[in-house]
Amino acid sequence: MQFCREKVKADCEELLGRFQQTDSVRFESFSAVWRSMKFSQVFYGTLGAEKKAFSREVLDTACSFFLPPFTFQIRVGGLYLLYSLYLSQSATPPQQIRLALKDWEHVKQFEHDAVEAQHLDTVYVLRQLLLHKAFHFTATPRLLSYQKKRKARRLPDCEAFVERPTRPQQLVSGDLLEELSNVQQHYERLKASICAAPDQPDPSLTLTRGDLVPRLQDAVLEFHRGQRLEAAPREDDDDESGGEGTSAQLECSRRAELLASIKSKSYGQAVEVSKSRRHRQVELGLASDSETAAASSSHRTHRMSLKARTNKNVQITGELKQETVKQTKLWCLTKLDSAPEDVPRKFPKFKW
Amino acid sequence: MTTTTQKWKNYISHEPHSMEEKMAASSSSTASNANIPEYEYIDVNTKPFHIGSFRNLWLERLKPCHYSYQEEDEEAFEADFAKEMGISMEIMGELKAICSIDSLSCHPADETPDPEVVPPDSTLKTLLQRKKRQDYKNNLKINRSGRHDFYADELDRLTVGRKPEEANDMIPEGEVILTINIYYPAIYDRFNYVRPHMTLMMTGSHSLADLRDAICCVSDLQVCGEFSSTPDMAPDFISKDHYKSAFFFFEGVFYNDMRFPECQDISMTTIEWAKSRNFPSYRQGKMEDVLLADLEVKVGFPYLYCHQGDCEHLVIITDVRLSHKNDCLDRKLYPLLTHKHRVITRKCSVCHVYIGRWLTTNDQFAPSNPCLFCDKCFRMLHYDVQGNKLGEFLAYPFVDPGAFN
Ligand SMILES: [Zn+2]
Ligand SMILES: [Zn+2]
Repeated sequence: MQFCREKVKADCEELLGRFQQTDSVRFESFSAVWRSMKFSQVFYGTLGAEKKAFSREVLDTACSFFLPPFTFQIRVGGLYLLYSLYLSQSATPPQQIRLALKDWEHVKQFEHDAVEAQHLDTVYVLRQLLLHKAFHFTATPRLLSYQKKRKARRLPDCEAFVERPTRPQQLVSGDLLEELSNVQQHYERLKASICAAPDQPDPSLTLTRGDLVPRLQDAVLEFHRGQRLEAAPREDDDDESGGEGTSAQLECSRRAELLASIKSKSYGQAVEVSKSRRHRQVELGLASDSETAAASSSHRTHRMSLKARTNKNVQITGELKQETVKQTKLWCLTKLDSAPEDVPRKFPKFKW
Repeated sequence: MTTTTQKWKNYISHEPHSMEEKMAASSSSTASNANIPEYEYIDVNTKPFHIGSFRNLWLERLKPCHYSYQEEDEEAFEADFAKEMGISMEIMGELKAICSIDSLSCHPADETPDPEVVPPDSTLKTLLQRKKRQDYKNNLKINRSGRHDFYADELDRLTVGRKPEEANDMIPEGEVILTINIYYPAIYDRFNYVRPHMTLMMTGSHSLADLRDAICCVSDLQVCGEFSSTPDMAPDFISKDHYKSAFFFFEGVFYNDMRFPECQDISMTTIEWAKSRNFPSYRQGKMEDVLLADLEVKVGFPYLYCHQGDCEHLVIITDVRLSHKNDCLDRKLYPLLTHKHRVITRKCSVCHVYIGRWLTTNDQFAPSNPCLFCDKCFRMLHYDVQGNKLGEFLAYPFVDPGAFN
């Protein structure tokens, strides 16, 4: 089902994009978008065992929108999407939504935020999924079968859905600050060791600011404070038009998320780091970036497979080759010697 | 805000002294656990983690009702929900209506569209692609829908949510279930584009020996030797009975099958070889003593199963999760075979009806060299009524790879 991954993702993004435009986290708004796109039809025309495989694919794709790094609103949309897909799927028994252990705390935090903000429909939908045992509690978000080569290239996350305000915090993470202070310390010690009098370092060697780490940290915190002030008046505007007071609640939970993001994201893991790097690249968005990306990807494909290398290095020629070819075609055993050689049947290749 | 700042500052000012301390510090108290599976390579494989501990971490986090097999009471749920959120039952009813499946219906109430047909007017990219693909397949005029799908459906129908007859045979709630792919050695040209494999579901309480016994491979049935003079002797000599040694290799440990006195530790050669060349040292274990829950493994990573001396299979654990009420819950049906690659069988070159049982070479009666015969045709062609060998040829018992279909 990998052939349709890209299309499925595009459809989900279209749906969530329209949901984002509604500036709402109400299920009513979501179901209106769902109906306008006739999203139930996404299951139509899958046959036999395809039903199960397609449900798996579309649920796995939708589930990613329910998790960080997306904004609270997109994550609510992702949850509604999971719920709607789960109820509408054509596979019997229904395929479960895969929830990985590492993501559980994000789900709990999300639930907490939604309860705090009194988003009744959001909490209801999540609890309904749990009630109906719609989840598989797994080790990994997707099944993994080491399909490195045939794996579709990783599709980038939709930029507009990502929680923008947390990016500087992601970039200047706890790990980075720790690493920086270690480097600084090491550097000072190194300087001290080459000085005649270790207690009085040569002032001509004072080339960096000793307080770089706290200054950087203060700058990020300052930025974060500024952001919150900036965000507040805009939310007030929304309040007048939005009704229901959801925007203020949205803001409230977003603040909760921001706080959470400082806590959790400062302990960035390898995956997080690579993610934040990717975003940084996109943000700089210069031609050189896309060039290097293209260069590095072509570099990757240049590495030959083991089979290709074997074929290249082990060359059998002449009669011997004829013989080996014949011998390995074991399934041709029952054919007469005089029968014409099998001409490989040619099927037109399907272009996606 | 201030507490967050304080936490952050504390964290920064803390200088880790040892590696352990550093590792402990770099992850928060709730998330600090090596047994929470994380990717080593994104979407390819995880870092190694302990299956049993992984299970316990889930159970610590969940309420028993989350993974229980029991249906839950909708009315009790609604009452609890209304109480917790502080809303009246009237609002509760409205909420339920708003979030109902009817609100998702995409067609007028008086129409019933055919869900087996791709709607021609959809704007969804997935459907445009599906339509194009189906049109293309119809053009090929090949009916490939085949037995495989049918078999898979049949299997699902028989096992989904299946409860055992004896309560004792019930897979306990919260048991860990592993999905394991075992790949066949890719020795045939034909298999270059598909990777034939079998898929098994097992529980954490199965041993590696259980896994071994569930793997079917023709080389276990392969009969060795030339039997043209004594064709009746052949079937008694089956590899599985004769060469019982085998091992799994997971994360630097060879797990040997030592259940029978004639089993040998066939990993020793490799271990000694590695030692003499300063490779990182490998360890040994017994597959009958090790439960899947005891393993520390990477999900998605290719490991090795080796038997018959040199028949090597890749083994990939594709999924580890808690059991679910829709799983087959009858312990006796495990290890549960959920997928089996169908191999095209090679028929007898005389009758073209039966699967080949004998392979002959230098055979003056044969249309090709080598050649396959079913048992009946082989005997009729190569022996007289008294069973005396006619003419010159060599004959080897043959087991078709498709024999397990
Ligand atoms: Zn084998
Ligand atoms: Zn025959």
